[in-house]
Amino acid sequence: MNTLPDRYATDDLVLRDPGDGRTLAQRLSKRYAARITGAFVVPGREGSFAPLPEDLPPALAHALRTRGIEQLYRHQAEAWQATRSGAHVAIVTPTASGKSLCYTLPVISAAMRDKAKALYLFPTKALAQDQVAELLELNRAGELGVKAFTFDGDTPGDARQAIRLHGDVVVSNPDMLHQAILPHHTKWAQFFENLCYVVIDEVHTYRGVFGSHVANVIRRLKRVCAFYGVTPQFILCSATIGNPQEHAEALIEDAVTAITESGAPTGDQHVLLWNPPVVNPDLGLRASARSQTNRIARLAIKSGMKTLVFAQSRSMVEVLTKYLKDVFDHDPRQPPRIRAYRGGYLPKERRAAERAMREGSIDAIVSTSALELGVDIGTLDVVVLNGYPGSVAATWQRFGRAGRRQQSALGVLVASSDPLDQYLVRHPEFFQGATPEHARIQPDQPLILLDHIRCAAFELPFIGDEMFGTEVATPWLDLLGEEGVLHREGDRWEWIADSYPAIAVSLRSVADGNFVVVDRTDGRQTIIAEVDYSAAAVTLYEGAIHMLQSLPYQVERLDWEGRKAYVTRTHVDYYTDAIDYTKLKVLDCFDSSHAGCGRAHHGEVHVVRRVPGYKKIRFYSHENIGYGPVNLPDQELHTTAVWWQLPQAVLEAAFEQRQQALDGFLGAACALHIVATVAVMAEACDLQKSVGSGDGAWFVSADLRGRGQLRGSDGQPVALAPDAPFTPTVYLYDAFPGGIGQSEPLFQRREDLVAQSVSLIERCDCRAGCPACVGPVPAADEQAVDDPAATTPKALALRVLALLVAL
Amino acid sequence: MRKLRAEAGQVSTAAPNALPQPAKPTFLSAASSPRLHALADTATAPERAISPELRRLLQRHAQLRRGPATLLSSDREVPGVEIAPGLRYTEEFADWLTPPAIIDATFARMEPVHHYHLLYFDTETTGLAGGTGTRAFMIGAGDWIDGRFRIRQLTLTTMAAEAAMLRTFAAWLSEDTVLVSYNGKCYDAPLLATRYRLARLPNPLTGRGHLDLLHPVRRHWKHQWENCRLATAERQLLGVVREDDLPGSEAPAAWLTYLRGGSARNLRRVAAHNAQDLKSLAGVLVRMATMPG
Repeated sequence: MNTLPDRYATDDLVLRDPGDGRTLAQRLSKRYAARITGAFVVPGREGSFAPLPEDLPPALAHALRTRGIEQLYRHQAEAWQATRSGAHVAIVTPTASGKSLCYTLPVISAAMRDKAKALYLFPTKALAQDQVAELLELNRAGELGVKAFTFDGDTPGDARQAIRLHGDVVVSNPDMLHQAILPHHTKWAQFFENLCYVVIDEVHTYRGVFGSHVANVIRRLKRVCAFYGVTPQFILCSATIGNPQEHAEALIEDAVTAITESGAPTGDQHVLLWNPPVVNPDLGLRASARSQTNRIARLAIKSGMKTLVFAQSRSMVEVLTKYLKDVFDHDPRQPPRIRAYRGGYLPKERRAAERAMREGSIDAIVSTSALELGVDIGTLDVVVLNGYPGSVAATWQRFGRAGRRQQSALGVLVASSDPLDQYLVRHPEFFQGATPEHARIQPDQPLILLDHIRCAAFELPFIGDEMFGTEVATPWLDLLGEEGVLHREGDRWEWIADSYPAIAVSLRSVADGNFVVVDRTDGRQTIIAEVDYSAAAVTLYEGAIHMLQSLPYQVERLDWEGRKAYVTRTHVDYYTDAIDYTKLKVLDCFDSSHAGCGRAHHGEVHVVRRVPGYKKIRFYSHENIGYGPVNLPDQELHTTAVWWQLPQAVLEAAFEQRQQALDGFLGAACALHIVATVAVMAEACDLQKSVGSGDGAWFVSADLRGRGQLRGSDGQPVALAPDAPFTPTVYLYDAFPGGIGQSEPLFQRREDLVAQSVSLIERCDCRAGCPACVGPVPAADEQAVDDPAATTPKALALRVLALLVAL
Repeated sequence: MRKLRAEAGQVSTAAPNALPQPAKPTFLSAASSPRLHALADTATAPERAISPELRRLLQRHAQLRRGPATLLSSDREVPGVEIAPGLRYTEEFADWLTPPAIIDATFARMEPVHHYHLLYFDTETTGLAGGTGTRAFMIGAGDWIDGRFRIRQLTLTTMAAEAAMLRTFAAWLSEDTVLVSYNGKCYDAPLLATRYRLARLPNPLTGRGHLDLLHPVRRHWKHQWENCRLATAERQLLGVVREDDLPGSEAPAAWLTYLRGGSARNLRRVAAHNAQDLKSLAGVLVRMATMPG
């Protein structure tokens, strides 16, 4: 604690006078040239405008003018035209391009003219509240008489009736539509009878399992609408993704008119890719991303620029907040200039942070992905990413939070030591030229489909050969009939069970319950935070330092069953970091077949995530000052998987060393995972890969150099005895409790997957391997000249896959 | 058949003030052949589109259970006459508390009302889950006709008869009907509103006066009684003690068993329970209306 790591003197070299994104980018580039591996500018655009449409209701036009809107951006005018023509519309433009006006205009006009109703769906409550606030302001400005309400879990019971009857615009989320509105649609009869528009914003968040659920909720919504004799028009909005139109059409299962050119003016966006300096050339160790992020953020704040820092984990948010507060908020008499923002804070605390940033009363927010969506925090100048967010689309979305019309903005991506991060900063062209990822959903995934047919049957009986989405529902109804929840009479299937199926179906697969953090300092009993189930094991173990607005609390007791963690305020100079690992065991093999010289299998597996202990890490010096044991139940997951194995004899003939085979399996796993993710249209996080022993005795993880490291069942590195059996196995498994049925289609396409993986790697432009094929590879491998023994990760992965290719 | 009659008798003698037997109990065998066909189809159909692997996966992960097997029964007798396909109607008269001509409803903060405008009603439903998936399979209604208490019940023996049941019940209500229920404002009336909406029929309960006895009972006796359920109120105020009463929670299973081809025995007990509820409703109302102060 005694020496702060940065010399403030150097700050002044950079900070002669406050500037904009361009000047800060230039100064950083000059001062830290060696750390900047890529710098480019996304040029700003002149605005492209159109007059207010003539067919806009005069009162609405007046309200817009009162609020200073004399003309529209071109994309807003296009959206107006397209909705007037009756088409479903998808608007795909960057953050802060005035997207909401694209749907506000048709919705308000229709409400004023025809008493038409609209349903808005946002993925989060915060966005819904923003939107209602905006509608109310516009409404007040023109005395339009349009009533807008949020309808979510926080809406009090006595207000709900009024909202159902009198709401012109009801702003909710897919979960509420699924669990509260559709199963009670008769109470909403008047609303549905007049429903003209369904607005779905942030549709890029509806992908993977969540998106597949939401697509089914939309099927149910359309089915209920048909009962009331309406076919509402959909207006969808999305941040930039690779396939916005296709994704919008997949969600609503209908053709949409896509509007993709933004007419909003923007300043230049400067982007820097930043690699922390090498601090130990012998070991190739670099300074931490955290120290660099801290430095860049500090410089930006000192230059008077509003700054947003994104961190990958909640604990990193707290650490970075603390560091910035140590510099800027050391005087308790002054109002704070730095705030943290993340899931787990209570809603009112988050609202306060948003408001403070919007009003300009604070200078920086440190956030998790929670601020990636369009929560209104006003305009920002600088965005610093502490680590690559995992996708090109998410990176641009985060950078997009900065930007003013006339002024240039700056986005800095600070690479962590993660191999993928390192690959990216070494290859700026990959990032610059990459198309954003495609959003994919699979609404007909059997378990998801069955869940929603169940919910749909509760809402309205199925009659005859009724379709649900793209399938005839009958076989599924038969199944539910057998279960006893439906009763068939003639050609009608009626709900008969005494249950409410939507309650048992969670769209977001986080049904295990949040943990609350209870502060017991000085005999208090105050809930100070919430932590979701998946994060509890790695943040709330006994002994953990839980940081909240950068104040450390120590976890004294964790009541796992009761979902409570009791903490007290503490004063320590360290934070804690959980050690966790995952291993897999085969429980049941449903099916298997030859795969080249080896075999492919499909079956049920047991995945265990264990937290055996934690490290204590001192602030600033980051030295490891101790370990603590953690005694928590393993987090177990029964799921389905598909896996490939090669016999020991084949491997020994093909590889000189076992290490090479392991590296090959790791690379093959990466390629198979990429191909499989596309094949079943999953999100990468819904489908996981793993390499381990066929008998579960050990598993392999990539070490810092991207090479396979064998670990025993306790998570510690092990060496295998030369005579021990050696059957490395590559697994692809469903990452959700109970599985989501992705492995069966994968097994059916097993030959195709291997063949495609081979061609993916062969066609990749890289020499030794890259994240686009076998995973990131260390610089040393990359610089290796063409190696006759072909032991690059790429070559090794190809060798493994060649053995698995069907004969 | 004798046994059935004996059981039916037993149920009605459970009431302390013995009532005449149902006016004309007619026992007809239920027309159940379409339903049996449906069952047969169910047993063979799934193989045609869902692969065994998928089935196994669904069973493993979706907690698909086989529904409770219902034993087909020869006891299929549901009381009443069939007034529409799948809809049975019973009517009985009870000599039961002579009501004052004008019911003083000030205890419920309502205007005085002539007793012949009152319609007591109570539904038996497939559950308490709420939402669009819960339905009433029986509607009982009581009223005073020439000083006697008339109990009419509608029972579904097929689901398709629901619209006929809803229409029949609607026809029992007139402009100046005042409904009387126990927790009907929060339970029976919204449930029926949903069913009328789903059947695309106007809701006859809209705009009718509705005297929900639960609330005045709560106001008076919340602190004296262990709870304010109707069974408690009838015991405390009327001295009614039920014997062989089918608990309300078993009503859904009773109807479902019948619907799936099983015994009608418990469904008849549901009807008896429902009839007793209506009588108790009338009794509680009279007691409260005539209470001093």
